[in-house]
Amino acid sequence: MPRLRTPRLRTVLLVTGSALLARRALRRRIQASPLWPMPALEEPVSGRPRARALRLLVTRHESVADGVVQLRLEGQDLPAWEPGAHLDLVLPSGLIRQYSLCGDPEDTSSYTVATRLIADGRGGSREVHEQLQEGSEIEVRGPRNRFPLAAGAPSYVFVAGGIGITPILPMLRALEARGADWRLLYAGRTRASMPFLEEAEKLGGERGRVSVVAEDEGGRPDLAGLLADSAPDTAVYCCGPEGLMEAVAAALPGHCELHLERFAPHTSADGNGPFEVELRRSGRTVPVPAGTSVLAAVRAEVPNVSYSCEQGFCGTCQQRVLEGEVDHRDELLTDSERDDSMLICVSRARGERLVLDL
Amino acid sequence: MSNTQSRAPRPVADERVALKARRVSFSWDRTPLHWIPDDPFTTHTINVLHLLLPAGERWFVHVYKQVLPYIRDDRLREDVIGFIGQEAMHSQAHDEVLPHLKEQGLDPTPYTAQVDWFFEKLLGDRTLPPGRAREWWLMERVALIAAIEHYTAFLGDWVLNADELDRKGADPTMLDLLRWHGAEEVEHRSVAFELFEHVDGGYRRRVRTWALAFSALMFLWQRGARFFMENDPTVLDGKASFKEFYRGGKRGVLPSTGAMVKSIPRYLSRSYHPSQEGSTAQAVAYLAGSPAATAAEARTPNGAV
Repeated sequence: MPRLRTPRLRTVLLVTGSALLARRALRRRIQASPLWPMPALEEPVSGRPRARALRLLVTRHESVADGVVQLRLEGQDLPAWEPGAHLDLVLPSGLIRQYSLCGDPEDTSSYTVATRLIADGRGGSREVHEQLQEGSEIEVRGPRNRFPLAAGAPSYVFVAGGIGITPILPMLRALEARGADWRLLYAGRTRASMPFLEEAEKLGGERGRVSVVAEDEGGRPDLAGLLADSAPDTAVYCCGPEGLMEAVAAALPGHCELHLERFAPHTSADGNGPFEVELRRSGRTVPVPAGTSVLAAVRAEVPNVSYSCEQGFCGTCQQRVLEGEVDHRDELLTDSERDDSMLICVSRARGERLVLDL
Repeated sequence: MSNTQSRAPRPVADERVALKARRVSFSWDRTPLHWIPDDPFTTHTINVLHLLLPAGERWFVHVYKQVLPYIRDDRLREDVIGFIGQEAMHSQAHDEVLPHLKEQGLDPTPYTAQVDWFFEKLLGDRTLPPGRAREWWLMERVALIAAIEHYTAFLGDWVLNADELDRKGADPTMLDLLRWHGAEEVEHRSVAFELFEHVDGGYRRRVRTWALAFSALMFLWQRGARFFMENDPTVLDGKASFKEFYRGGKRGVLPSTGAMVKSIPRYLSRSYHPSQEGSTAQAVAYLAGSPAATAAEARTPNGAV
């Protein structure tokens, strides 16, 4: 018996001892680095949301032209932005509206936006005018830039219609600081209704780079004349009413590149025309009739295509775009995601055809 | 109770509501680091949600997109589609808290990068041949989600009723995030289980995946709480312990350990159906008054953007 017992006792002692040692080593190891030993994803995905909400204080609410108010929204260490960027304002009613930033990009303590009251609009501008008084708080998301200023163009031509001057103003200031070659045509109904007119004219200086056309004085702007003698590779930027943008597109010489900024891409019934979508992997082409979403058309062919909110915010229906220009109408995707994908529940083709990786 | 009744899991009452994603938006700049005043442990124990959910719920969406072709019931498909959108919004909303933590000196990236690995790699689409192996792995993940959803519904129901958090002066925005999320979890609590029953429903798989999900949740949760306590720049020598968790449960600022233990046999019961847990009416009532959910309602009138 004793011959059997001794090794057993020794084994028990050995096992207990090593278990205690292992526990101590483990505890020390965890203490030294609490996250040991799980691997990590090399490029983390979480913690980099597409957009963030900030709550800002309205510190100024002033009229800058007939029917136009300018708001100064103050905060701290605000995200940086480039000329052409816009901000999403989450209005007290919950509505979300986009407004171009028209202040100084160097200022990290405030954002400036200006809005025109649209009497028969969807209520957003009325809310900005009537409810966002000085001292009130407003939630914003962004900024994002759908209308970036190209860096290396030899010369620039801007066409602004009324409140459409807002994204262009910071561009002019930036170009002026750089000493670039630029011209502006600023059109509006009356001089009194055109915001930032004085500043735009001052930026233009004596050299006649800014021409102002008020409908009640000078009639229609001469777009063809403005664009006709532009240098090759001139970058043309236009922001204003749909009619003005169409006119600029029509008058554009072949050697110029056009950049447009639309005010409210989601409301207008126009631009909902028919086109076709090729599903490259399925080897099928489906027509998208006017007024029907890409999702609805694709679902008929691919019944299990994923989607959910059907309003362009949840992101479930995102699909890769292989060819074709997209008219993005979602409110979710980042600029780089928009380069090669779209939310098929709301976005459409700019042209006549899209090719999806589906 | 009579034994002749069918033992197949079925809803207690037809409380079905149409599921839809709500376009919520939260701003965090006014939320303090310890959003339950003077209680870093409870704050951080709940904060672990922000570490797990962005990657976790993204993974739910990823898996469910693949399971859509297996659904042969239109009503269930509709539920799953609503579920996917809600989960996508949960993931986005919690993700937006993380940069705020970082700005306050508590960088969550070392931990979230691991959670990302866990869901994207370990539980991601493995290199499997098409056919049975791939389907097995898909069904396994569908069952895992059903088990996890048992706990999200449990937590949702808990947070909707956790009045002690209000009494402690917890940050209203954070409470609204947790309760909006909790209410949607309660609202859609049956979907994941019904989907699992529809596409597979094996009892052995249910038990196996429950054990996996439960251990993973416990492992990740205690690790997250320890991580936060040790890295919180305002807490000296911070430690997370089970004892404190137990006490938090007693005080009502955390789920009670007893209730958690009791929920285990319920999920494993053969007659389990998620509708036996929580109250849809309470969830719907909360959503009707939630600041974030009512604002979301205003910005999406009748589907017109």
